[in-house]
Amino acid sequence: MRLLRLHLHALGAALERIAAQPVASLFSILVLGAAIALPVVAAVVLQSAMATGAGFDTEPHVSVYLSLDASAEDAKRVEQAIRGEPDVMAVTYVPRAQALAELQASTHLAEVLAALDTNPLPDAFTVRMRSTDPASLAKVRTAWAALPKVDQVAADFEWSERLARWARLGEHLVGGAGLLLAAAVVFIVAHLVRLQVLTRREEIEVSQLIGATSADVRRPFLYHGALQGLLAGALAVALAAAFAAWARHELLALTPNYAAELKVVFLRPAESALLVAATGLLGLLAAWGAVSHQLRRFARDR
Amino acid sequence: MIRFSAAAKRYPGGLEALRGVTLEIADGEMVAITGHSGAGKSTLLKLAAGIESATSGTVLVQGQNLGALGESALAILRRRVGFVFQEHRLLFDRNAFENVALPLHISGFSRHEAARRVRAALDKVGLLGREKAMPVALSGGEQQRLCIARAIVNRPMMLIADEPTGNLDADYAGAIVDLFMSFHQVGVTVLLSTHDEASLGRLRCRRVTLAGGTMVEEGGA
Ligand SMILES: Nc1ncnc2c1ncn2[C@@H]1O[C@H](COP(=O)(O)OP(=O)(O)OP(=O)(O)O)[C@@H](O)[C@H]1O
Ligand SMILES: [Mg+2]
Repeated sequence: MRLLRLHLHALGAALERIAAQPVASLFSILVLGAAIALPVVAAVVLQSAMATGAGFDTEPHVSVYLSLDASAEDAKRVEQAIRGEPDVMAVTYVPRAQALAELQASTHLAEVLAALDTNPLPDAFTVRMRSTDPASLAKVRTAWAALPKVDQVAADFEWSERLARWARLGEHLVGGAGLLLAAAVVFIVAHLVRLQVLTRREEIEVSQLIGATSADVRRPFLYHGALQGLLAGALAVALAAAFAAWARHELLALTPNYAAELKVVFLRPAESALLVAATGLLGLLAAWGAVSHQLRRFARDR
Repeated sequence: MIRFSAAAKRYPGGLEALRGVTLEIADGEMVAITGHSGAGKSTLLKLAAGIESATSGTVLVQGQNLGALGESALAILRRRVGFVFQEHRLLFDRNAFENVALPLHISGFSRHEAARRVRAALDKVGLLGREKAMPVALSGGEQQRLCIARAIVNRPMMLIADEPTGNLDADYAGAIVDLFMSFHQVGVTVLLSTHDEASLGRLRCRRVTLAGGTMVEEGGA
């Protein structure tokens, strides 16, 4: 009961301190919120890019396109050559008519395609490979490209691998920026709390003289730091959500036909909650460090 | 019980403010510490409250060796001690009510109970009705009484007052001495320092005189 009351008092004191300097508190929370929003927005952009990328095929396969004038015989010979390769797992023949039908079904080019009087697509083989080792792949590609009536050999997953590599790099950059800005949040909150401690030095010293423990002295400052972190985190989520809504709106306006493929993926509610909790914790830790450091200094000065 | 055994205090800087003080104060006893300025009165009181620590010898309060207590344990002991500081140590950005309520806040009293106790304490020192006054708007004597109210508001087991009548005129000094006597009568241990002869005359209690950090005289009244 006593402890609960002490915590309620401390929370009340922290709210009073925020309310006592509304403009300063508002500005610091705005600055903190904007700082936290930056990596969140970057993460949203990255997630969206990856979700869009995931819409593309990522199975390791090689497409072998025949010339438009290739006959069924030619196709048979090419297929035999492909099957002769030990790395090949499965070979699917995709006749040009089927390719056209698939293209018409999966994209919004139906009208364009319907307007053509000849099928522009060649017959093709989709070859699933056992390994994606670049060296053996390059060998296979040159071998197949040299076969008669083979027009082009494309290793589609190279592209998706490249995308994945970029995504990993992006993740590292966002992670790094996140760490940097988390450090900035800790630094800013610690600084603000330190100023509060300094202006309340007399109150702290008198309280200690008449029986306040370090924990008693720290408590309201911890609430103050945690509250600033929580509010800044909530503001960051709100800013990022506003950005996501705006981006979604703009994308829709720019490319209405691709709306299904280009999506903006925002944080899940649990992720948003986690972010707010994490910034609250950062605020708490920053306050803890600042008060403890300052109390040690006061003790040394006495 | 408070027991000093060969207690000494040397402040950083080298000056020995207290030397080999051996003194026992029983529970419920009232003792007045006298002596000239710089004799070590304040130092003795601060050692008894665990505000300063002895550099040699021991100070026992309620059987606890203060030198062996941790920071938190000392703080919790101080909650049960009402201390009137020679230099008041009031918070000048808080009004009278808030100053007196400070120990109750630390102890976690409900607002309602705290308000009741603060008014009772202010009443005892003749400041009821001045709750909203800021310390700067109070006279030296009123500030002193405010400090006494803060010391008694938590119903301490031990009341330690450093020159509590220093800034008071004879009438108020007499009233404050009577107040301390009344605490003594209900079983509170009272330890105070003074060099005010008028107050000393009124105090019917044991007297310890310090000079140059050592005890030079002890007598009853
Ligand atoms: N914090 C301190 N640092 C260094 N020296 C101190 C400190 N406090 C007191 N002293 C010295 O210790 C000696 C005793 O001081 P103390 O305050 O105990 O005396 P006092 O009897 O209370 O004097 P007064 O009647 O003037 O209040 C003095 O010489 C004083 O200068
Ligand atoms: Mg003194």
